[in-house]
Amino acid sequence: MMDINEVVSNLEKNYILKLLKQGKRIDGRGLFEYRDVKIKTGFIPKAEGSADVFLGDTRVMCGVKYDIGTPFSDNPDKGVCTVMSEYLPIASPMFEPGRPDEVAIQLARVVDRGIRHTNCIDYKKLCIKEGEYVYILFVDCYMMDYFGNLTDASAIAAIAALLNTNLPGAKLNEEGVPEWDGTYSPLTIYEIPLSISFGKVGNVIFVDPNLSEEMVLDGSIAFAVDEKKQVTSIQKYGNATWSVEEILDTSKKAIEIADELRAKLNLRQHVPQPK
Amino acid sequence: MPILVPEPHDEICFREDGKRLDGRAVDELRPFSCEVGVIKNAQGSALVRHGGNLIYAAIYGPREVHPRHLARPDKGILRVYYRMATFSVHERKSPAPNRRENEISKVIREALEPVLFLEAYPDSQIEIYIEVIAADGGTRCASTTAASLALADAGIPMKSMVVGVAAGKAQGRVLLDLGDKEDKVGQADIPCVVVMKDKSISLLQFDGEMSLEEMKTGFEYVLKGAEIIYQKQLEALREKYNKITREAEIEDSAVGNLPQNEQKSINESQNAQDSLQNTSQIDEQMKVQNEKQEINNDHKAEPSPLMENSSAINESQKEVEKGEVEEKSKDEKSSEENIIKSSEQSANSTDDSPKQGENQSSQEEQQLNTENDSPSGDDQE
Repeated sequence: MMDINEVVSNLEKNYILKLLKQGKRIDGRGLFEYRDVKIKTGFIPKAEGSADVFLGDTRVMCGVKYDIGTPFSDNPDKGVCTVMSEYLPIASPMFEPGRPDEVAIQLARVVDRGIRHTNCIDYKKLCIKEGEYVYILFVDCYMMDYFGNLTDASAIAAIAALLNTNLPGAKLNEEGVPEWDGTYSPLTIYEIPLSISFGKVGNVIFVDPNLSEEMVLDGSIAFAVDEKKQVTSIQKYGNATWSVEEILDTSKKAIEIADELRAKLNLRQHVPQPK
Repeated sequence: MPILVPEPHDEICFREDGKRLDGRAVDELRPFSCEVGVIKNAQGSALVRHGGNLIYAAIYGPREVHPRHLARPDKGILRVYYRMATFSVHERKSPAPNRRENEISKVIREALEPVLFLEAYPDSQIEIYIEVIAADGGTRCASTTAASLALADAGIPMKSMVVGVAAGKAQGRVLLDLGDKEDKVGQADIPCVVVMKDKSISLLQFDGEMSLEEMKTGFEYVLKGAEIIYQKQLEALREKYNKITREAEIEDSAVGNLPQNEQKSINESQNAQDSLQNTSQIDEQMKVQNEKQEINNDHKAEPSPLMENSSAINESQKEVEKGEVEEKSKDEKSSEENIIKSSEQSANSTDDSPKQGENQSSQEEQQLNTENDSPSGDDQE
């Protein structure tokens, strides 16, 4: 990735910092105001599930595909779900083509942990034959346009695409090999985790940093929050350091914001009809 | 372990009534639509929907070459990255670029290089990133169509637009624009890219069995199909600039120091207008702008955009003077909202009205007339 300092001028940087210290933001939002989210699902016919998410101008597309594979030996009766991310060079002049770098891998893993540790998917239902055949879900997040906070946008896209998934059913034939049983059904999803990210500049903490804020901030923190109002995963990144009080206060804020956002988005509306 | 639901692999590509499986005639294109300016970060971008294909293309550059040793002192380099999303195909594709993607990137690059003025960009590169989000056969053609649109959208001078479309053969019949199944089970496939200025072919591949006679028919279909897609490309580019013009006019009229406005007040020979009246007029002006096509038909002798504008304004004045419309807004802000709403409404109404269909042929004439005025970057010499 290109050096971020090349992208934002000192003048703009100082202006953003000045505003933040006054509790204001460059796009006119309040410190704890989230950008508008728009979601479209089911638009990719060959994907089992798909979602196109706009968080302000940030755009992430996500598609779910499946494969049949062997389970991990420590979880022989559970399916597998893997989140991956691609920082498409389409999305920003700063992104270059090539294998996912550490930033892209971190994003995928943060989203992955948000889903894994909330007990969101019923992994046991993804098992076809214990120890031998399970569904492996691939959740691929594609960054389409970068205007800050890809983590939260990807988390929304991933869960929306998973909710939108219609998976072909499997049965074992006489030889004990899985076969399609002629049906499609949605995944069993108990929890809708959301990721809420905060940026920090000096002592000022604010939610959902936009592109120019992301260019100047000292560091960020992302919380995955489940429906039981629990924080289920945290990732701190960037160079800022956080006091214990700051972390706890921000967690509370994250829970509040996640609750509000979850109610507003009503993600379960994207669940398809079984066929 | 294969995935559970296999793809159909029978050879049937025609229905009992002789039409193709999706109901098309042999020389008919799949539904096609396109849009430009879809990725805000990019210099230029395009979205193409061609059949079930959903393809984004974005342009970055001309900018510094990285790594440096690839730079050439005598001309710029074009780099094309054609990639398919993992979820774009029936069986998940590995995210790493494969041999097929690399080859297609190269042939697309060579289809576009002949229409660019790369010698104008020494030591620089233009990058085209193509992302196939959903694939449905003929992605290399649709990708080139998208890349050409994105280049024009980026304002990069081109000798001509290019259009990609394939011909082929299935069950002994020559077909235009193969769908996914026809592509996979058919006997032959000729993906072509047509340079629209001189109808030459800048991308050509061929696989399968076909007589030269059949190939000739195939090329005829391709040229016919390319012309239809070309018109849609021009429409998409024009639509973007129409939109920019509309937005600029709203801003300028709101500021109130446009030369047009001055002209208007002279024509009207009215004394000072209070701001309320002014804004309601803008409102009207916007409506009329959106029905520009229709007005154009009344003013065929005036093809230049400037003239169109002034005629539109005259129209709006007349309407306001007649008192046909009594929409008045209380402050600037709410009137702006109204403008947007009303422009949406009128846009919808013109789209849906059967009247437009009747006028279509004359509209096309108009489009051809104004083609040279189009600021889209195509056909620049």
